[in-house]
Formats: sequence, C-alpha cells, structure tokens
Amino acid sequence: MLVAGGTLIDLRPLADRWFVEVLSSGGKQEAGRVTDLPQGLADDAAANGAMAEAERAGLFRRDREELFAFYYSWDSPKEMQEYMDQEWADFCAVDEAEWKQIRSRWAVSDADARVGVRLKMLITRWLKAH
Amino acid sequence: MTVQKDPEGNEARYLRKYADLAGKRVLEIGCGDGRLTWRYALAARRVTGIDLDRDELRIASIERASDLEKTVSLAQADSIHLPFRDQAFDLTILAWTF
Repeated sequence: MLVAGGTLIDLRPLADRWFVEVLSSGGKQEAGRVTDLPQGLADDAAANGAMAEAERAGLFRRDREELFAFYYSWDSPKEMQEYMDQEWADFCAVDEAEWKQIRSRWAVSDADARVGVRLKMLITRWLKAH
Repeated sequence: MTVQKDPEGNEARYLRKYADLAGKRVLEIGCGDGRLTWRYALAARRVTGIDLDRDELRIASIERASDLEKTVSLAQADSIHLPFRDQAFDLTILAWTF
C-alpha cells in the first residue's frame, strides 16, 4: 500500500494518568488525575507490540518520535463527566474523591473557568523499508 | 455538551513537523469526523480517509469544505483489510488507531 521509502505517522494518546486541570483566563491549575483502566493499558501495549513486530520484521524503521500535550476541555465538570461516561468509559475513569476536588477547584476559580484533561500524545515517524 | 479538542492546535502542528505533505498521496486510517484531516489536507496532493464508524464518516462528509471535495475522499474500511493497490500512497497516518 505504501511506496518503498514511504512514511508512516503513528499519532495516538498514551495512557498515563492524564492530568485534569481547571483552565481560565487566570491560568491553569491542576485539579486531579484520571485513572487508567486495564483496557486502555492493553490498547497501548497492543499498538506498541504491533509496531515493534513490524520493526523486528524489517518492514519499518523508527525514525523519530516525540511527546506533546493534547487538551480536551468542557464548560463544567458535569459536562466532562457526561463525556467521559459516554466516550472514555472503557479505558479511563475519575474516582469520586478526585471528582469532588475537581468540582471544588472549578467552582472557586474564575468565572470563565473550564475544566480540561491534558492527554499525553505520542507521534512517531516510521520509514518503510525498501 | 461543548467539548473543545486541541484548541492550541498541537496535533496539526506536530503532524506538519513530522510529515512532509506537499505533493503526497496520503492515507489517513481512523479519520473519524475529519477533525484532523481538514487541518492538513490542503497541503497534500490527495487524501483518502478511512474509518470503521459510518456515523463519523457521515459527519466528515457533511463538513468537508467545497475546496476539498476533489482532494479528500472518504470510505468505510478497516486497517486490516485495506482495499487499495500496492504503492498507492506515499504517506500513511495512523490517527488514534489501536
């Protein structure tokens, strides 16, 4: 499918107990962390394993990689909780003590405060062997 | 629900840093609703976005800008059984694909 010498970019989040932050015009404040669930960790292991196998087989060569931040943010902790329940329930969660802290820090923050999750993203460039 | 994703544009910025898109035939596996696709497609020669989720692809199709209709094609397909001929692409993007 790829030409010889072609490029494969692997772009994905890594489970790593992502930070929850309150974001406002006044700045960012850490408010808690998510908990990684077994499925999320298994997904990472499977993806890492697949690319490692492709490298061992001589199909691709890892050329360069880097981590960066990717934010999801919501108007309120309630919206964040609804989104997590709908979209992320299989791979991460926030326990009740963390929710209390997040709600509290959001409530006493600036009027324009949002709540966000800072994902750890990995980008890797692979080069296809000839 | 008003979720914002990557308001700082880090994802597209890192993609452009890592991928020379100019003149390239690009396959994006896991294009979803096209959120990332629209941020780089103008730089490529041609983009084929695939995803398993028909609803996400429908959103992508609706949101595809008119100036990208000839550049970006969308299809429902999985990454195991890719319906493309050999050497059809110069660059493949695995976008949040596990």
